[in-house]
Amino acid sequence: MLFGISRFLINGWVEQLYIEPTHYFTYLGFDWVRPLDGNLMYAPFILMIIASISIMLGMFYRWGTVIFFICFTYIELLDKSNYLNHYYFVSLVSFLMIWVPANARFSIDVLLMPSIKRSTMRQWHSGIIKFQLSVVYIFAGIAKVNSDWLFEAQPLKTWLQAHHQIPVVGGYLQQDWAAYLFSWSGCIYDLFIVFFLLSARFRPFAYFFVVFFHLVTWYLFPIGVFPWVMIFSTLIFFSDHFHEGILNRLGAVNSRKKKTPLPRPRKFVRTALLVYVVIQLLVPMRFLLYKGDLFWNEEGFQFSWRVMLMHKEGHATFYLVDKKTGRESEIQNSDFLTPTQEDQMATQPDMILQYADILREHYDGQILEFGDYKFPIDDPEIRAEIYVSLNGRPSQLFVDKKHDLTKLPYNLAHREWIETLKE
Amino acid sequence: MNRIQRISILLVLAVVSMASSCNKPEETPEFDKASLLVNFSDNLIAPSLSMLKMAVDQMEADFVEFQSNPTQANLDVLRNSWKEAYLTWQTVKPFDFGPIRDYGFKAATGTYPSDTAKIESNIAVGSYTLGSASNIDAIGLHSLDFLLHRADALSYFTGDANYMTYTSDVIAKLKSETDAVTSAWAAYAPTFKESTGTETTSGFSQLVNEFNRDYELVKVAKLGIPIGKQSLGIQMPEYLEARNSGIALDLLRQNVLALEQYYKGNSFSTGQSGVGFDDYLLHLERSALDGTIADNFSAILAKVDSFSGTMENEMNSNPQGLDELYTLMQGQVVSLKTDMTSAFGVLITYQDNDGD
Repeated sequence: MLFGISRFLINGWVEQLYIEPTHYFTYLGFDWVRPLDGNLMYAPFILMIIASISIMLGMFYRWGTVIFFICFTYIELLDKSNYLNHYYFVSLVSFLMIWVPANARFSIDVLLMPSIKRSTMRQWHSGIIKFQLSVVYIFAGIAKVNSDWLFEAQPLKTWLQAHHQIPVVGGYLQQDWAAYLFSWSGCIYDLFIVFFLLSARFRPFAYFFVVFFHLVTWYLFPIGVFPWVMIFSTLIFFSDHFHEGILNRLGAVNSRKKKTPLPRPRKFVRTALLVYVVIQLLVPMRFLLYKGDLFWNEEGFQFSWRVMLMHKEGHATFYLVDKKTGRESEIQNSDFLTPTQEDQMATQPDMILQYADILREHYDGQILEFGDYKFPIDDPEIRAEIYVSLNGRPSQLFVDKKHDLTKLPYNLAHREWIETLKE
Repeated sequence: MNRIQRISILLVLAVVSMASSCNKPEETPEFDKASLLVNFSDNLIAPSLSMLKMAVDQMEADFVEFQSNPTQANLDVLRNSWKEAYLTWQTVKPFDFGPIRDYGFKAATGTYPSDTAKIESNIAVGSYTLGSASNIDAIGLHSLDFLLHRADALSYFTGDANYMTYTSDVIAKLKSETDAVTSAWAAYAPTFKESTGTETTSGFSQLVNEFNRDYELVKVAKLGIPIGKQSLGIQMPEYLEARNSGIALDLLRQNVLALEQYYKGNSFSTGQSGVGFDDYLLHLERSALDGTIADNFSAILAKVDSFSGTMENEMNSNPQGLDELYTLMQGQVVSLKTDMTSAFGVLITYQDNDGD
């Protein structure tokens, strides 16, 4: 994580993503999360660096986890154009780590406060993290069971052909069978890897697959730090003997085994765990409540471990309509949005509505002057004509210009105004 | 091996054999990005740059002649070579990456509309830094539209030494930057030719992205804004490109023609055909899309050729015709930016990112 955040700072992404934009796409219900002024925006990133060092060393561990979780989640909530599944995963795991005493053994906290030392931990401490990883894999696997993925090998066919330049294997990657092989084995891997990791017998074998699989994805696709996060996180499936072995070899340990008996988990903890587990299971399933094509409409798409499933490209033209004269103007999206925001917005219905609202607010009450003409704008209409191409299909109409977007509700209900996907 | 594994392996095998057995019999044309990049670098970009260099050199030579002998005849010669340079620039401007981007060449050469008040105050004061950011709309090819073509231009040149000096400085800057970019491209070309990756910073991604950006720029800046597409339908002639000389339509035509030729991989200087985006689409079995894009380009060029006057004339006499041209150009954006780009697996983005 230290690496991930440093990458953010070094690449200047803080500036690009959280200082430069003039508008932000907040999550429904989190509109109150606003960015800090100017360079103050660097503060949470610096805090996170300190916090991740504190977590690694096990020094003031609990403070470290709390600060890390709050800063990371705060930043993720600022703008959904930057949503990535692995950011969500990091948020969740850092939340879980607040409650897990991972500082109870090999840590500076133990040196400072010997009373917290434990050589054992509760089963739920590692169990909940294993559960979280299993949720990621299994739901990612279930999400791949769809006709584009399995029967069209899309979007992998599109992504793999782009690699025809790689020596030796590049030629094969262009073949249809390679795309099908990748699609099916990816799906099967995601669905079943957890079960192999859980079984003591297959674990080393399965872990080899984990490393192999994620290295391949890291090499072929622009997915940032995600493969590394998964490669290291899945180590938790190994037994404590295995981890002690590594620590021993690193010379870090005393092998005095002092089994401190632990008190029974309180009822509150048990209830909280249950609630957490149920939420994690239900949230990715919420798409079942919506009509229409999930990838096209993106209703119930996020927070559901749908990784690498879509290749969606869109072009959106927005129009300001002055009700009094009936005249219309095309909006230059780049005047309001960064390239990333514009790109994400063009294919995501909720962001389309948010952008329409940004535009309405901007123009409402303004007097537009062009040459000798003056137009006092009052409660304007905002319309859009949007074309989208999904998973290798030719582009088709996504949003028709006939809708006044300012009149449409921004909520979680099914959006009738999205055109139906034609195969 | 347990049962799940065995089943999964069987499934994979089944699919693989199914997929390979239903492979279509017809041949898909061979294609590789490296040869496209080589063609672009060797036959399109480098020749366009050297044509631009020749045109700018000619303009500079004609200016030197005019400076020593400021007659109307010499001014007309200079105007002609300026027009030639400006038209040639249209064939370079889609390549805003590598050295062209590093030198800020596109902005320094092609920014318009010019701030004529700033130009006049620079001339009056007689001291200026043309490379400063605030002077970006007081330099470049477009500032010469004003300097060479304003009413009574000749009397300004003969009556005001500063006016002549300013023009000289603008041309000198253009020349030194053109020279610098041309040789920098030669040094960068080997890197570019190998940059076939899918990351947003690869040569191929930048080529596709800038191609699209330039196309949109033609649509919006050269046509949309002047005809009122962003001003509630009120025409904005002051945003016309090269309004004084009245060559806006020629520039638009040349820019679209350049993009069409580049789409096909054809060399602008020799007309020789090579590997272009169209070959990639055919390789991906998207011949319908290739047909649409080619037809759109032809229709746009035919529409441009149907106009007889300058763009400003047409805005007055035939706004409907320009509106139709705009609609044609708008339709092509979706084919290029959405369909072609997503078929290539290139992300439309101008910044690096952290993945899915």
